Amino acid sequence: MSIPAVARQQPEDETRVAAAKPVSTVEPAYQPIAIGTFAARWFRLNKGRIRAILIGAASLVVFLVVWHFLTKYRVVFFVRFTNVPSPLAVHESLTKAIHDPKFLMHILLSCRRILLGFSMAALVAVPLGLLMGRFKLIHEVIFPVAEVLRPIPAIAWVPMAIMLWPTNEQSIVFITFLGSFFPILVNTLHGMSLVDPVLVRAARCLGARETSIFREVYFPASLPHIFTGLTVGMGVAWVSLIAAEMISGQYGIGYFTWEAYSLVQYADIALGMIAIGVLGLTSRLLIRAAGRLVMPWGRA
Amino acid sequence: MSQIDTKAPQGHIEVNNFALSYETLDGSVAAVTDTEIHVKPGEFVSIVGPSGCGKSTLLNAVAGFLTPTKGTVTVDGELVKGPSAERGMVFQQYSLFPWKTVRENVEFGLKMRGMARSQRERAARTLLGLAGLEAFEKHYPDRLSGGMKQRVGIVRALATGPKVLLLDEPFGALDAQTRVIMQQILTNMWQRLKISVLFVTHDIDEAIFLSDRIYCMTARPGWIKAEIAIPLERPRQQSMMMSSEFLALRRGLMSLIREESLKAMGGEISDLGMQGLNIELHGHSLADVI
Repeated sequence: MSIPAVARQQPEDETRVAAAKPVSTVEPAYQPIAIGTFAARWFRLNKGRIRAILIGAASLVVFLVVWHFLTKYRVVFFVRFTNVPSPLAVHESLTKAIHDPKFLMHILLSCRRILLGFSMAALVAVPLGLLMGRFKLIHEVIFPVAEVLRPIPAIAWVPMAIMLWPTNEQSIVFITFLGSFFPILVNTLHGMSLVDPVLVRAARCLGARETSIFREVYFPASLPHIFTGLTVGMGVAWVSLIAAEMISGQYGIGYFTWEAYSLVQYADIALGMIAIGVLGLTSRLLIRAAGRLVMPWGRA
Repeated sequence: MSQIDTKAPQGHIEVNNFALSYETLDGSVAAVTDTEIHVKPGEFVSIVGPSGCGKSTLLNAVAGFLTPTKGTVTVDGELVKGPSAERGMVFQQYSLFPWKTVRENVEFGLKMRGMARSQRERAARTLLGLAGLEAFEKHYPDRLSGGMKQRVGIVRALATGPKVLLLDEPFGALDAQTRVIMQQILTNMWQRLKISVLFVTHDIDEAIFLSDRIYCMTARPGWIKAEIAIPLERPRQQSMMMSSEFLALRRGLMSLIREESLKAMGGEISDLGMQGLNIELHGHSLADVI
């Protein structure tokens, strides 16, 4: 990892460190920098990050140890750990599951549903939000309907979805779509409402016409909020998917978790939960990476 | 750039019988009334006045963002109907596109005109070189200082070769030292390009230093209270700001503005300090009076 990339993420920390120790950091630039000095400087500039990583790792270890002892001694204190699997048991079922094509299929199917539902939601909600933000009439027509439908949780759509769509698979994807649709729409709209009118005026007096202004000003100006919407939407998509899979699914990681309970394979419950967590985290990181790629001007 | 230099003098701005009012629940509120201004081709004209006097409103009408309630705005005899690249504008808030690099910002107007990428890249590089910004062409605006941002803003507005350049308190957000440097850069650019400039400011020194003529506006509703020719020779130097001629102009303008600022603040106008300067000056040169 290069230093500029790291320093860019924490401009405040960097300047504070540099300002606090002017004597030690400001050295004549023409002197060749020894490797040792370089390493020391790198360490000093990234102290905050290193610290955060170390503490984070330690806290995860503590979590595992506490979990281990709670299950080992089957603690009953308001909550009952009698049947809760231990970390070791979960690890064991993980090693088994990794070689089990069925487990991988559950995961792949869930990912496919997320990919379909989420990307369709993004493909509809982002353009719709942009148009609603730009054209009053479209906003006036669509906004009331959206406001009525928005508070309905995607899970509440399950019976309706089963009636609407011919196959189970389609109705699950539809639920996922609904879950992510509204966060994306609302954030895109919010981004559009915050576009600096001076930038629009600047584009106008540089000869930009309506479509150019849309493409060159409104869209890039809204992108940070669109990506917020995508991140939130992805989270809700997983929530909706898992719930839908538990209720009406035959496959998928949500179904796997619920099935494990029915089949009294308690370690698999935790395994399913952890898999869901890892998948959710990974998809969020992917969106963030995409955001950085699309918005190189941002500091985030 | 050479294309602009060889053009016949263009950019004659005329604002005739101009009034602009806003509709509110209480009826219409006049922002600007009975205003006549003109800028001859290649002339540098400033509008000064207390804040909220409608000078920006007037400038925005010339840019084509606002439609006059009464009267006309023409550039070279053509009625202004909306914003166009013929009238370049520079805003106080820099208004650079944060998602475009410095060079892409400068290229924007040329891109809108449909110029090929390689051609507009070359044009933008040349312009940035003239402004001493070639080293920053790949930077995003948020990495630049205020002065650099505004230089990019000016270069961007000039890139399309506009007939007139409109500036709305462009240096208002800059610190005093940077502002002085920017004023010098602007006069240099203006002298090289021979472009008509309409410049809005509340800074009297800035207006005198830069302009051929200054219009002084009254508090809301704004109208032109005085028109002052600035006979200082060109090229202007910072040292001129200490000359007795400059200071006399400054004193005159200062009292005109102060009176209006007091009015704008709702204060009483005292006879003291005004020293009989609230006479009708329109059409006369203040330098003649004092």
